Amino acid sequence: MAQITLEDVSFRYPGATEDTLYGLDLQIENGEAHALLGASGAGKTTMLNLLSGLLSPTSGRLLFDGNDVSDLPGRERNVAQVFQFPVLYDSLTVAENLAFPLRTRGVATDMIDGQVAYICSELSLGKIRDTKPPSLSLFEKQLLAVGKALVRPDVSLVLLDEPLTAVEPKIKWKLRQTLLKVQKDLGVTMIYVTHDQTEALTFAERVSVLSAGGILQTGTPTEIYQSPANEFIGHFVGSPGMNFLPCSAVPSTTGDRIGFRPEWAALVDEGHVDGTVTRVRVYSTQDSKAHGLVTLMTPHGEVFVRGNAEFETGMKASVRIDRCVTFQGGNRVAEIAHV
Amino acid sequence: MLALANLRLNAGCSEGFSHTFLSGQITVVLGANNAGKTDMCRFITGLSTPARGEILLDGEDVSSMSPQQRSVSLVYQAFVNYPNLTVLENIESPLRAHSAPAAARLTQASDIAAKLQLTELLHRLPHELSGGQQQRVAIARALAKDARVLLLDEPLVNLDFKLREALENELRELLTASNTIVIYTSSDPRDAFTLGDQLLLLDNGRKLQSGSPVDVYRNPNCLRSMELLADPFVNRFLGDGSECAIRPEHVRVDDKDHSQASITFEMQVTAFETSGDESFIHGQVADHDWIARCQGMKEITVGSKLALHVREQDIVRF
Repeated sequence: MAQITLEDVSFRYPGATEDTLYGLDLQIENGEAHALLGASGAGKTTMLNLLSGLLSPTSGRLLFDGNDVSDLPGRERNVAQVFQFPVLYDSLTVAENLAFPLRTRGVATDMIDGQVAYICSELSLGKIRDTKPPSLSLFEKQLLAVGKALVRPDVSLVLLDEPLTAVEPKIKWKLRQTLLKVQKDLGVTMIYVTHDQTEALTFAERVSVLSAGGILQTGTPTEIYQSPANEFIGHFVGSPGMNFLPCSAVPSTTGDRIGFRPEWAALVDEGHVDGTVTRVRVYSTQDSKAHGLVTLMTPHGEVFVRGNAEFETGMKASVRIDRCVTFQGGNRVAEIAHV
Repeated sequence: MLALANLRLNAGCSEGFSHTFLSGQITVVLGANNAGKTDMCRFITGLSTPARGEILLDGEDVSSMSPQQRSVSLVYQAFVNYPNLTVLENIESPLRAHSAPAAARLTQASDIAAKLQLTELLHRLPHELSGGQQQRVAIARALAKDARVLLLDEPLVNLDFKLREALENELRELLTASNTIVIYTSSDPRDAFTLGDQLLLLDNGRKLQSGSPVDVYRNPNCLRSMELLADPFVNRFLGDGSECAIRPEHVRVDDKDHSQASITFEMQVTAFETSGDESFIHGQVADHDWIARCQGMKEITVGSKLALHVREQDIVRF
């Protein structure tokens, strides 16, 4: 496994007039679970291709454990990749699929058997080791694809490209948990690429938010969520994202806007901003009362508040903000934990 | 309204079911993979499917009509547009099929394009658009057909997260404005609450339950119904000899309100996740896998033992 360092890495496709990626500085520790979060078009795929060796940086350096690999071809970097849709050999059994990357590298048979047995037990593939992929569920197939990536003992980095896309929403967590477990057990450096903020925050120890070819912020999930570096991240992370209001709405805040998460506010009789309820969505109950997301139209635009949803459209309510982040010119100034 | 009667979604169904979809409402059809959602869509559209039954649209039996004759449009998960036609021509295509005059076509197509924020893209070809934009074109084309029934078969599955969120909001406003019968299939319980006026639960080709999403949530008629609406699953335990279930959002890590009758469980924590607004604690309670969904960010150590509180009023018994 390796520590991954990007030093001022930029990339421009031949013939293009602008950089697809620019000025990337990032250090991912050996054994870290890291997520790259961004919308489509942010540069995630290009960054993956730089790491896997399909592309080389136009400028800057890429280091694995301090060694410059910028121009090293992919197969000499020992990078394994898991794709959105599992790539498997349908005519081989689960165990044979796992053995394949080792056989092609001429690994000794007893070594292969040992590694295959180890991965089967780590990923609980034992029961299906003699089954062929066409009879597996999508979940099992993707688990096998992960196994194939991890089976080589010399792998320095595992890249996961939206690995949960094809898996049913209700069992995504299970695959994510299995991934995290092997990540910890094997001490693998993993980079998980996704547009889904829930997946990024739940999976990673640290998250880098990518937008328009640049890294906007790298931090722990808590830092990214509670203390976004700028308004874009505040909006992009969270579902729905942060609400923004002029600073004048909340006494003694400085900057030009404040941002607050839907659950950092409550609907009361007299709060900071008055509005009219335009939409109520109930997602569950708490104490047998409707709980969910209430949308209000205020003089400053739409505001989302999460919590008590015993409201109806057309009702007047006031938003009390309990916690917020202040921004100046789009960038974070301060976190205010208690308004 | 659209009435289905004696519907058998696959050959394995011993008895059929009936369901009525109302005009001007969005019905979310929720089920796991292979529950029969796509077969139901194909049956309503008139495409080939193993499903058998009767179908009445506004009182008229349309069973023997071809897909072209039915006033039904279907949007698939994979965005299907005419690759050689511009966005505008794509949206106009159903109007052209009904030989509407050119000027009227243009006005109508432009209106729909504006609603779906496609105005800037009218003269582009589908392959020049992002996935989300292509799916919006497919939806715009379906709306242009102005059919009585609009079927959306997991239309947002392949889309970027934020785009999905924006489209969910737009769709709801757009669809409820008309008097169309809208049927939206999904395997994600969130969609039921976000989009549905009505909910129909399908499981293994059978109808489990229907009603408003909140009513079904509050009063599940069986464990499977409760499970389908749970995110990601329900916690189970045996209490007084009956099968009991509790939703993840009703499991409390700390319960300061001692006036409520409650039961305490001990969980061996195996994993912990946070998505920002919520935290998920996974673990074992007795021999069952449990999950607790708590609001906000929590600090929980994996491997620790945790006391969980469950209030009597939140327990569902079967």
